Amino acid sequence: MAQPLTMALTKGRILQETLPLLARAGIEPLEDIHSSRKLIFATTREDIQLVVIRGTDVPTYVRHGAADIGVVGKDILLEHGAEGLYEPLDLGIARCRLMTAGPVGWSASGARVRVATKFVNIARRHFAAQGVHADVIKLYGAMELAPMMNLADLIVDIVDTGNTLRANGMEPLDEIAHISSRLIVNKASMRARYRVVQDLIERLAAAAGDN
Amino acid sequence: MTTVDRWQLPDGVEEVLPRQARVVEHLRRELLDLYHQWGYQLVIPPLIEFTESLLIGLGRDLDLLTFKMTDQLSGRTLGIRADITPQVARIDAHSLAEPGVTRLCYAGSTLHTRPKSLLASRSPIQLGAELYGDDSLAGDVEIIRLMLATLNAAGVAEVTLDLGHVGVYEAVLAAANVTPEQEADVFDALQRKSRPDLLLALTDIAAPAAELILGLLELHGDAAVLETARRLLTKAAPEALTAVAALETVATAIARSHPGTTVYFDLAELRGYHYHTGMVFAAYAPGHGQALANGGRYNDVGKVFGRARPATGFATDLKALMALVPISLSAPGAVSAPDSDDPALLAAVTALRKGGEVVIRCVGKSPDPRCDRMLVKADDEWVLRPLKP
Repeated sequence: MAQPLTMALTKGRILQETLPLLARAGIEPLEDIHSSRKLIFATTREDIQLVVIRGTDVPTYVRHGAADIGVVGKDILLEHGAEGLYEPLDLGIARCRLMTAGPVGWSASGARVRVATKFVNIARRHFAAQGVHADVIKLYGAMELAPMMNLADLIVDIVDTGNTLRANGMEPLDEIAHISSRLIVNKASMRARYRVVQDLIERLAAAAGDN
Repeated sequence: MTTVDRWQLPDGVEEVLPRQARVVEHLRRELLDLYHQWGYQLVIPPLIEFTESLLIGLGRDLDLLTFKMTDQLSGRTLGIRADITPQVARIDAHSLAEPGVTRLCYAGSTLHTRPKSLLASRSPIQLGAELYGDDSLAGDVEIIRLMLATLNAAGVAEVTLDLGHVGVYEAVLAAANVTPEQEADVFDALQRKSRPDLLLALTDIAAPAAELILGLLELHGDAAVLETARRLLTKAAPEALTAVAALETVATAIARSHPGTTVYFDLAELRGYHYHTGMVFAAYAPGHGQALANGGRYNDVGKVFGRARPATGFATDLKALMALVPISLSAPGAVSAPDSDDPALLAAVTALRKGGEVVIRCVGKSPDPRCDRMLVKADDEWVLRPLKP
């Protein structure tokens, strides 16, 4: 048999919502992904195997052809670019919004604004489009802390319910993008294994439509 | 700077060591011989040129890829070539200026300011062939066949040939009547075959035009897509049918000469859309995300040099080819010759070298490790004896 098709999944919340979707498309891992320490998983379809990795690594794996297909948040694709990839499907899972947020009642006081975020490229583009000069500070977590400690004026972050923001005296401001998970495909895999890939896209589209 | 990092080369810049260098050079010679046999004449364009001639017509990407500096003699801006194609176009249009069909080929190092894709070399060895002065599909077919012959000679076994035509998107865009801003978003989404982003880009576009553009997403796959394309385009964008017919003609011709090659059609392929004017093609190998070779028609490229010429051609990167297909050239053992100036020995060495043997003079204490035979004097004659390990 030919080499199985490798699908790279994003760890964490996205994985929890991806597995039921895959199950509806007829693909189930042969063992429990959450409890296993393995990195590669065989599935009920012997021509498909799964790897579970960090979201930021998924486009890298797929771009290089180490994986043929991937499931990744749109935020990662917006931040790191999606050149060299096909992005045929919105899976409609792990929905949230990418927003700017600031302390309640905040208003701009000068020509520049300090922005803390882990999405530095998105933040730079967003503020440039608004005609605002932003000094972007890259942080890896707990964005809400930055304005409180006067490290930044605003933050750019993923907002789900907004509870964390409110608990820290902040409010969401502008919406930058709606985020959900996307299916991405390696360009060479799309060509060389057109039938299998296209069939998989259709099954997943149908499964996502049931959401 | 300490000795620790003195040896370091810039990111994406690599040297080719003996074992690989021999393969790269072998392949280069073999391919240039192949092009010679197909009637393509070799040209050797310079490493640097004025940017005015170097950056013609091939879009903004090339501008960003090109290292630039000021020419101290003229004060004009020089570029180190990031692509050899514009140079060859200049040679055809201006330096040669021959009427009729001109076939040219080249091989040389180029330099990129940044890698074209992740892990790509910034100093590829570009090798390619161009056909000028013919606007028929026969020219495209010949170039595609030469591209397939190139990969075959390099030992790439399984090739998928990608065929597209910029005329399809052009006609659809003209029929859909979108604004330049909308077009930028549509182009971006189509390039990524992103249905959700394309739907978003089409929100302000009237339904029939939007459906036509959405239909482009489906136009990739095997030969069946040509029928799908005709159904979609006949009424809505009839100008595109010429392009569909061209794809069919070329695919039929390739199937005749290369029955084993898989052809994949992508009617919405937008690679190089801003400078290609007709057929676009690429060759992919399984497990390799980037095309191994690509090309297409780019008519009128010589216009800025005073002679608009039809043109089609392809290029590949020798280093990338070699990385994919590790050919190992079997090296038969060399002959060791003693360090003596005996005229009879010198004559024997010359004769052996003429016969294709590698003869290495023994200058140190022991013969070069590549040697498995040695020249020894027996009865006033130099003869070959096996060298004991």
